[in-house]
Amino acid sequence: MKVWLLKKDNVKALCASASGRWETYVPIESFAGDVQFMRLNNEKKELFLDKLKLDYESLVVPPKVIAFPQLESLFKFQDEKIIETVKPSVKRLLFGLRACDVKAILFMDDFFKRNFEDIYYLNRSTDKLLVIVGCKHPQENCFCTSTKTGPFLETGFDLQLVDTPNRYVVEVGSKKGEEFVSSYRKFFDEASKDDVECSRIAKHDAEEAVSLRLDFEKAIKRLCENEPPRQMYEKIAERCIYCGGCLYVCPTCSCFNVFDDVKASSGARYRNWDACVFRGYTREASGHNPRFEKWILTSRRYEHKLKYDYLTTGMSGCVGCGRCLSSCPVNIGISQVIEEVSKE
Amino acid sequence: MKNEYIPHPAIVKSIQPESSDTKTFMIVFEDKTLAKSFNYKPGQFVQVSLLGVGEAPISIASCPDQKGFLELTIRAVGKLTQAIHQLEPGDRIYIRGPYGNSFPLEEVEEKDLYFIAGGIGLPPLRGVIKSAFDRREDFGKIKILYGAKTPCELCFREELKAWNKIPDTEVLFTVDEPDQTWEQNVGVVTTLWDKTDMATFSGVAYVCGPPVMIRFVIEKLLKSGFKDENIYVTLERYMKCGIGKCGHCNIGEKFVCIDGPVFSYAQLKSFPDKEKAMA
Repeated sequence: MKVWLLKKDNVKALCASASGRWETYVPIESFAGDVQFMRLNNEKKELFLDKLKLDYESLVVPPKVIAFPQLESLFKFQDEKIIETVKPSVKRLLFGLRACDVKAILFMDDFFKRNFEDIYYLNRSTDKLLVIVGCKHPQENCFCTSTKTGPFLETGFDLQLVDTPNRYVVEVGSKKGEEFVSSYRKFFDEASKDDVECSRIAKHDAEEAVSLRLDFEKAIKRLCENEPPRQMYEKIAERCIYCGGCLYVCPTCSCFNVFDDVKASSGARYRNWDACVFRGYTREASGHNPRFEKWILTSRRYEHKLKYDYLTTGMSGCVGCGRCLSSCPVNIGISQVIEEVSKE
Repeated sequence: MKNEYIPHPAIVKSIQPESSDTKTFMIVFEDKTLAKSFNYKPGQFVQVSLLGVGEAPISIASCPDQKGFLELTIRAVGKLTQAIHQLEPGDRIYIRGPYGNSFPLEEVEEKDLYFIAGGIGLPPLRGVIKSAFDRREDFGKIKILYGAKTPCELCFREELKAWNKIPDTEVLFTVDEPDQTWEQNVGVVTTLWDKTDMATFSGVAYVCGPPVMIRFVIEKLLKSGFKDENIYVTLERYMKCGIGKCGHCNIGEKFVCIDGPVFSYAQLKSFPDKEKAMA
């Protein structure tokens, strides 16, 4: 694997330069301190880049919003005529992703390609360059070393930046990544053996810094082999307020609802995020609801991620980002379920 | 890449009332090429919509051998289906699909076929029943057991009476609440087991109806000697996309929209109990 150096001083200039040819998304710190992945606006590029924050703890909203926005129109209509709104595919640069989020993006890509292709998602996701900036200070709710989704990846990225003092060591993970470096060669320097050694130490330190350790494989294996006792889900159901927040911030949750909005003779059909913990999620027009009891909603929510995704794809839908716990108003997280299932 | 979410305009050609809350709509695609080329298999469904109202999965009640039109039997239950019931011949409706798997028929040649339906559960079976009659000589006995709450909730009554006259074919009706003119069986559909011989070793059953009916019918079928893999059930679930994306119809790791809606009892049995909702 070819390795390069990127001076920290060069990062903003590189992003600014790349945004000419790529629709570029970078982590931006808001005035309240939250970090969000935002599109670099060409006119206000400098203003935006002043708020660039690569050493963030976690993006509040996962980068799935880029290809799978919370609300989008499937088509418009006027006087019973359908007007298509699907946008053509564009080249996108996602600069500064965490390893766990890249795993989640790859998981979502595969889902939206499987069986029927979802043109809305794929047009936003197919032609993209994924640049990881590995996590240096993992937050307390993360457990990516247990899910083997971070803090650094072996494959799946185009470029992976390792934060070492003063500069990033850049690992090239694909031909696309290699071409990107050649296109913007002036921002990159040759890396020495010492630099590679520095990055090895930085990666090791980052891994050590992930404090939450779970027996993830055991939990999945157990869930696939046996039904956990109903009481486990009932205990969670007692506390859960079924707000769906954990699923909105989950980087691999992709359920959506579809609805029409109409005024006079024109309107649009939209899709928006949905969550399997909502009571109406499976309710049919007749009122019949095959999944009504709270503990069953809860079991679905966790078993879909940990068991069914694994049975279908060989990869669990949980990437250990810890967002579900961080965002939960009553302090429930998938890590607690994993812990409970895997304990002796 | 095809945009699966864009529905095709079609015209309602005729409307046949089936019962107080159910009508059969005969629909033809506006695009003549599509009208001719639209192929489907018995058991599949389409996503039906009215722009500005919404979209829902509806099983195709017509037989694939009849080209050029679709028949959809729709009960007015929710916002969309109530709006569809307001349509008149000549009105526009939107269709995409067909989606889902289908009932096996080629695979079961020479066997006895048993169709068991409850209420609005007959239309999803009608396509496969008609396909079977189109090549009647390829199968053994055919029995149709059909129940509804009241006599006026029985769909396709005239057609069913005509089918009853086909050689080696038996159609049995039952209702829970008879009216004064009702002369046939009274009781749930499983009470028809007392009226006809259902014992079999290799018979194939096709079942559609409300969840509680499905549960009791399967019990009866198993007792009569039907094998798990010879019982086919078509399931209904809330669906938004029909193409395995929106998530609503998932059961275990399956999606009813792409892995179903037709499942054998052997498959159904393997689903986790808490997700089956057969109560």
